[in-house]
Amino acid sequence: MTVKLNLPRRRLVALATVAAVAALTALVPGVASAKCADITGKGDINIVGSSMPSVLHLAKEMESCNKGGALKVAIKITPEARVETERAFGSEGKSAFDAAVISGGVYSNLSAKGQLQSMTDLVAKYKTKYKIEDNMLVKSNGEVMAIAYQQNAQNLYYRKDIFDKLGLKAPTTYAEMLAAAAVIKAREPSIDFPIAQTFAKGFDISTEFVNMYTGFGGKLFKPGTAQPAFNEEAGIKTIELMKSMLPFMTPNALASNSDDVMNQFQQGKAAMGVLWASRAARMDDPAASKIVGKMEFAAAPAVMPGGKSATHLWWDGVAMPKNLTNDRDVVFQVLMDALDEETTKAGNDATIWIRSVYKPTRFGTGVTLSMRAGAPVWPTEPYVGLATGELGKMIPEALGGTMTPKQALDAAAVAYTKAATEKGFIK
Amino acid sequence: MKTKSFLQFVGPSVVMMMLLLAAPLVITFYLSVRNCAMEMETVKVEESTPFGLKETITQRAKLDASGKAVQSCKFVGLDYYRKVLGLDDASPLQDGPPPDSTASAAKGIPAVSEKAGNEFLGALRFTLVYTFVTLPFVLVIGFLLALGVNSANPKLKGAFITASLLPFIITPVVAALSIKWLFRDNGLVPYLLSFLDIQVFWMAQAWSARMLIIVYGIWHVVPFAFIVLYAGLQGVPQDALEAATIDGATRWQKLRYVTLPHLAPLIVFITLIHMMDAYRVFEPVIVLTQGAFTTSVQYLTYHILLQENNPFKASAAAVLTLIGIVFLLIPLLVKTWREQKKGV
Repeated sequence: MTVKLNLPRRRLVALATVAAVAALTALVPGVASAKCADITGKGDINIVGSSMPSVLHLAKEMESCNKGGALKVAIKITPEARVETERAFGSEGKSAFDAAVISGGVYSNLSAKGQLQSMTDLVAKYKTKYKIEDNMLVKSNGEVMAIAYQQNAQNLYYRKDIFDKLGLKAPTTYAEMLAAAAVIKAREPSIDFPIAQTFAKGFDISTEFVNMYTGFGGKLFKPGTAQPAFNEEAGIKTIELMKSMLPFMTPNALASNSDDVMNQFQQGKAAMGVLWASRAARMDDPAASKIVGKMEFAAAPAVMPGGKSATHLWWDGVAMPKNLTNDRDVVFQVLMDALDEETTKAGNDATIWIRSVYKPTRFGTGVTLSMRAGAPVWPTEPYVGLATGELGKMIPEALGGTMTPKQALDAAAVAYTKAATEKGFIK
Repeated sequence: MKTKSFLQFVGPSVVMMMLLLAAPLVITFYLSVRNCAMEMETVKVEESTPFGLKETITQRAKLDASGKAVQSCKFVGLDYYRKVLGLDDASPLQDGPPPDSTASAAKGIPAVSEKAGNEFLGALRFTLVYTFVTLPFVLVIGFLLALGVNSANPKLKGAFITASLLPFIITPVVAALSIKWLFRDNGLVPYLLSFLDIQVFWMAQAWSARMLIIVYGIWHVVPFAFIVLYAGLQGVPQDALEAATIDGATRWQKLRYVTLPHLAPLIVFITLIHMMDAYRVFEPVIVLTQGAFTTSVQYLTYHILLQENNPFKASAAAVLTLIGIVFLLIPLLVKTWREQKKGV
């Protein structure tokens, strides 16, 4: 019984990993030969990361340090990287991992718990050798706590061919998006549901909510505290806006995650929507897409005229725990070796790199344009995850009509307040 | 048997059961009545990222001299059980610590707490519906498959058995994904139905989302019932069947009075295992709709553990799940117990 209880999760992790690796290795270009020969020191180094294309690319580079010498490097690729990282970095004894590839969101949690170690001295020591660039450094009160290598954001996808045919312009606000959707629905018979966006329960819808809510000028928390502030007017406006999009979306929208939305675009069934930039290159994959070359990318629309692009900027990078097992100097060299200019060049199309040698592709234009249109950085308070967790659970009730927007937001606020109190954020 | 040799025989399995069953249960219960939290302090932090410099007021853990976060743990009794069941007072949304229940009542907030209670009840209701709707289908279809394969041409039996077992062999997440891909927008089923001018959005309303999960459950578990009953059919006493034939029994009578009574213990066994499994239904819920329109008891535990990141509350949810299973199984366990006693 005990073993059985654990099975589903493990199966999930194992299978998702296999599937992801199989699907993604095909996309990642070959890696140039290893250069970690000049790393001084030894150790049996373990690193953990998720199955994003860029992490797979870095993993190959890191593992090329294994040449049968005193230095061994192993990378665990798992969709549960966040949980595994938080567990290892927070463990009482030594951490199972010497480093992790993490997102800005995970960084905020680890950093707030004081579980990351400063890399300031190491950056100073190796800055020239690995050409570490200043905007790769993630600092907290001046101390370097992580090294970022890629950026990501949700941005607008739109079918250039259809927009041109109907004389429409890429929407810069959600009002324009709804107007364009009405035109497409009326005049383009191949498109039943013009808008596709990730409204699935949980992470997807909560991210969409925070994007638009911040666009309305809303703040998730009362200033200087962890008290919820999202069950107010801007929150209600956000849900009303989401509701007004529903008639232009598939009735299955509340179960549509990034995979489903990507599929609707690839199949030519949707004409526009906000989706992660990391999915953009898949629009031109002839094996999966019927719309190769037809999708264009722009800044995520603002929710009100003259407003900022209603999306958030995310970064991913590497960090080391305070309780690491191996020599921090060696671990740092392995990480920097994998993040050097050569690796970036070899994997140019795998993601939107931060390094200046990166040559932007058309798939990254949406992020750049969103950034220019004022998109903020994803909030960094360590209790953001608790708030989005409860929002993601309750907002579908409002969109599905079983609760009013205010009721759903109040319910999320109550659940969040309890969770945050249990974790010590609210006294 | 001497006490000593009895202990030698029984000892290893008792030790294993203590380690693998009793100990985790006790630990889970211990966790469920406690809570540990880091001591947080409000600080101003200057954060610099690839997107620029920003000053935020946020919270940081207090660190001790060795640089470790200071944790405070306390006994919370059955608080978490009350919270999972939605029986606690809703915490007020206004500022300031003292929870003032009259103020929140005036604001009409208890209605929200009722909703939280409904959430657990809703999850429990769907879990029970899933369990009891899938069970008869699993038994009947499994039995029919077993009868069919049993009377099939011996040369084809191997192929039939393999084909029938496939849904059970496939990993639940992959199996649920394939069902989802059949039914989502542009999937095979909506595509085929479009030829008949039928348009159904399977993940757009509660009834169809629930039906998909139940269909998945039946499809996935039927092979288990099939293989157990097929094995049972091999042991049906041929002499009894022949005697019945000589007595002039019809096929139906042979099935009803010889085969089925012989398979009865296996049917109880399948029921037991399926009820325990079905009560923990999780994969189709998370994969098919990500929990929209449908939550199961296990999904709630998952949410608490991963979204709220609270192993203590999740332990309370886990213990409640276990209590639910025990209640479900009481009638069957009593029956098995009586039979065992009779057998001795």
